[in-house]
Amino acid sequence: MDIRDELIEHVPRLRRYARALINNRELADDLVQDTLERALGRTALFRAGTDLRAWLFTIMHNLFVNQVRKSAARGTHVSVDDESVPETDYAVSATQTGALEVRDLDFALQRLPVEQREVVLLVGLEEMSYADVALALDIPIGTVMSRLSRGRERLRALMAGSVPRANLKVVR
Amino acid sequence: MSDPYNPVTEDEIHAYVDGTLEQARRADVERELERNPELAARASDFFALNNLLRERFDRVLSEPVPARLRVERAESAESAGSAGAARRRGREAANWPKFAGLAAALVLGVGIGWGTHGGADMLGGAAGHGDRHADLHTANADSTMNFVHEAALAHVVYMPEVERPGAMGASDEQDFVQWLANRLGTNVHAPMLEKSGFELSGGRLLPGADGDVAQFMYHNAQGERVTLCISHRKASSDTTAFKLYQDGPVNVFYWIDGDFGYALSGGIDRKELLQLAHDVYAQLTPR
Repeated sequence: MDIRDELIEHVPRLRRYARALINNRELADDLVQDTLERALGRTALFRAGTDLRAWLFTIMHNLFVNQVRKSAARGTHVSVDDESVPETDYAVSATQTGALEVRDLDFALQRLPVEQREVVLLVGLEEMSYADVALALDIPIGTVMSRLSRGRERLRALMAGSVPRANLKVVR
Repeated sequence: MSDPYNPVTEDEIHAYVDGTLEQARRADVERELERNPELAARASDFFALNNLLRERFDRVLSEPVPARLRVERAESAESAGSAGAARRRGREAANWPKFAGLAAALVLGVGIGWGTHGGADMLGGAAGHGDRHADLHTANADSTMNFVHEAALAHVVYMPEVERPGAMGASDEQDFVQWLANRLGTNVHAPMLEKSGFELSGGRLLPGADGDVAQFMYHNAQGERVTLCISHRKASSDTTAFKLYQDGPVNVFYWIDGDFGYALSGGIDRKELLQLAHDVYAQLTPR
C-alpha cells in the first residue's frame, strides 16, 4: 500500500488527538494539516515496515512543541495598543454544546503541562502502548511512566475540584 | 497471598488500567486493590478518566474530514501532480493572527507549567515592560499573576458555555451564593451589572493554583461575555489599583484587596471593561 493511502487512514485519529491537545477545532486542524504536509514532504525519510502511526505522531509532537515555544515567547509581550479581536471571530463552534463537565475536562486538560498532556492523551485516548509513546515522543519509557503518573494524578485532582458533589446550580 | 518480595508498582497500576498488564500479574494487582481502598479509588478514577477522554473526543473520528485535510489517493495524486494533497486551502496567512492570540491564551500558562514556576515567567513578561508595574514585584506577585492568568484561561475555555443567553433564576442564585460562601469560607455575591447591560448567566467554582476561585459569567444583549473571577487568597497582600493584563484577545482588569483577588476578563472594548470593573469594585469592595 502506498504511504498516501495509509496516511488517509490516520487522519481521523490525528484529528482526535490534536483536538484534545489544543481544545480549538481550527488550531487543532491547522496542526493536523501541518503534520500531513510535513509527512508528505518527507515520505522518503519514512522507512517502510516501521510504524507509520508513531512516525506521524512524532512529527505532530515536534510541530506542537515548537508552536508552544513560539506562543509562550509571543504571549509574554503585552501590547496595550493592539485592537482587541471581537470574540465572535474566534469563538469555538456552537456545535460543541457540551455539558459543563465537558468544559471541566477541557479546562483541566489545558492546565496540564504539555508534556504530561501528550502522554496522558496518547495512552488514554490514542491507546498507544507505553513503548510506542516512548518512540513517538523520543523519550525513555521511564519518563513516559512518570509523566503518565503525574499527569493522571493532576487531572484527577483538577477534576475532583471542579465537579463538586454539592448541588451546584448552574444555568446554561 | 501476594508476594511481599514483588509488590505491585505504580507502573503496574497504570498498566492494569490501560489493559496492558500481563495476565499473570493481574490477579496480584486486583488483590492489592481489594486490600487498599485508596489505591482502588485512584485506579477507578484513572479508568473513568480514560472513558471521559473517549466520550469527549471519539466523536471527532466520525466528523467529516475537512477539505484541507484530505490526502489524495496515490493514483489520483500522480495525475494531479505532487502538490495535489493537503494543499493550503482555507488558511491564508491573514487568518492566522486572529487565532494566534487565542493560541497564546490557551497555550501560555499551561505551556510554562502553572502553579510552580509559571508565575515568574509571566511576571517577567507582563510586568517587565513598564516601570509602572514595578510594584508587582512582591512576594505575592507570582500568585497574583497565576490568578490573573487563570482568569484569562477560564474565560476562554468556558466562554462557549454561555452561547445561549439564559438567566440564573433567583432561587438558583441564592443556592449558588450560599454554596460558594461555604466553599470560599466567606460571603461572596455576584455583582449586578444590569445597568451596564450585562446579565448574570451562570457561575461555578474552579480549582485555582492558590485556592478555589469563584467564576461568574455575564453576557449582554449582543452576546458579548465577560467573566468575573474572585479568589479568596491564602496569603494576604496589599491592596492594589486596577491593573490590566492582556492575553491575546482577552483583556483582564484585576485588583487585589487584602484577602481577595478580583479579575474581570472579556474580549470587549477595554474602556467598557474598565467601566464594568469600576462597577464591580464599587459593589464588592467594602469601604
